Amino acid sequence: MSKLNTQRLEGKAALITGGRQGIGRAIVDRFVAEGASVMTCGRGARPIDLPANIEWQTTDVSNLQNIQALKLSFEEKLGTMSILVNNAGVQIEKTIIETTDDDWNALMGVNAKGVFLACRELIPAMLHGGSIINIGSISANTADPGLALYNASKAFVHGLTRSIAVDHGPAIRCNAISPGWIMTDMADAAFAVANRPENAKADALTRHPAGRFGRPEDIASLATWLASDEASFATGQCYTLDGGMTSASPLNPRLF
Amino acid sequence: MSAVKNNYLENKVAVVTGGCGGIGNAICERFLREGAIVYAADIAETAPRGPLFQKHDVTSEESAIALMNRVHSEQGKLDILVNAAGIEIEHTIEETTLAAWNRIFAINVTGTFLTSKHCLPLMRDAGAGSIINFGSYDGFIADPQLAAYCATKGAVHALTRAMACDHGPENIRVNAICPGYIETPMLQSFFGSSGDIETLKQEVRNVHPTRRFGTPEDAANLVNWLAGDEARYASGQLWVLDGGLSAQVQQMRL
Repeated sequence: MSKLNTQRLEGKAALITGGRQGIGRAIVDRFVAEGASVMTCGRGARPIDLPANIEWQTTDVSNLQNIQALKLSFEEKLGTMSILVNNAGVQIEKTIIETTDDDWNALMGVNAKGVFLACRELIPAMLHGGSIINIGSISANTADPGLALYNASKAFVHGLTRSIAVDHGPAIRCNAISPGWIMTDMADAAFAVANRPENAKADALTRHPAGRFGRPEDIASLATWLASDEASFATGQCYTLDGGMTSASPLNPRLF
Repeated sequence: MSAVKNNYLENKVAVVTGGCGGIGNAICERFLREGAIVYAADIAETAPRGPLFQKHDVTSEESAIALMNRVHSEQGKLDILVNAAGIEIEHTIEETTLAAWNRIFAINVTGTFLTSKHCLPLMRDAGAGSIINFGSYDGFIADPQLAAYCATKGAVHALTRAMACDHGPENIRVNAICPGYIETPMLQSFFGSSGDIETLKQEVRNVHPTRRFGTPEDAANLVNWLAGDEARYASGQLWVLDGGLSAQVQQMRL
């Protein structure tokens, strides 16, 4: 590994939703390493392993009062926001006919309404110039089986990403990252519903030209670039980062 | 612009075809600042200042072999190939001669094929590699009177995915960047020289969510990221960089 650029986010204040673990936490850690001042949030109490220089605000992103409190807390502690990463997301492993109204409220509340509320409440305070990064998914373009509402919620995120870029440029750039299979608890949960989880995992691995699943740090690399001034012409895009998986046909002859 | 340390590509060897052109030259300069050893491979007669220079006709297999032989003998490996050589012809298909069609495919598509094909052994010697092709947002949606150009860029997009699938297991990543309107001589040629060009250009700028054209440095920023280890999980993708232009539907003027 060659040396990484550092201090690319110096002087910038960033909010990352869903920073307790996984991809969100990797983005938090990387942004701090790049010199940003960072606040993150999640539904529970402050994680005990979160370093002291990172602000935490207990927040349910689907709740307007929580988002407004988050905004006030951010401004009080870190000042003017220039980077917003909408990472908080949940997944429910069900087809549409199995999905209840409560499932709808839980999933769409976080994945769709949460992104909407965060953007609506925070964009007015970012019009001096900012970068919004939404976590979309490759499942927004092609469906993962048994993840009906999740797939649809990520398509919402991609559509909203383009609208924000178009409506609020040039002050605000907005892009989405579509991770492929990133090894997080959420990916393990998806494998767990397969008939033979180990076989499903081996099969999925073979479908990756990169020869491995992604890591949260891979997503943090791209988020860093998009957050930085290096990406000042990048807006309105949904960039896929999946180790090459979706560049191959799903019917992969190497597997037969 | 926040501070960027200049050693992201330290110890890497890079070849940039079209390295004397608008975007290619910006990529060479950026790679040099990041600590890479850079070969500008270009049909131009005169060497640019900065990078090493190899006269290279991307349509010639002999030229591709000679280029890679030189890199092999001087560096023993290649880490990065940027296929930036390309031309544009401003015609509908009816106005396009077979010779012009064959020429643009020879440069934009065959050139990407030949230079990539002969760089693979050198990337195996390096143990890994990153190939960055030049697609275009015109490979997804058409600009008027650029028919053959649009078709070549669609071909580069498909080739990019295919190469990523075939060579990923060897740790060779392949991506394409797909620029929109970038301020280059090629863009100037697209706008032509008759009429009120400045007014036209301002109108086109205003259609962009960023309200500006891209610069060669914007393209180099993305190529630089894709070239290095930060992008180690990025492969098989078409990276549109267009200031938000194609995030919109057609902008009606009513």
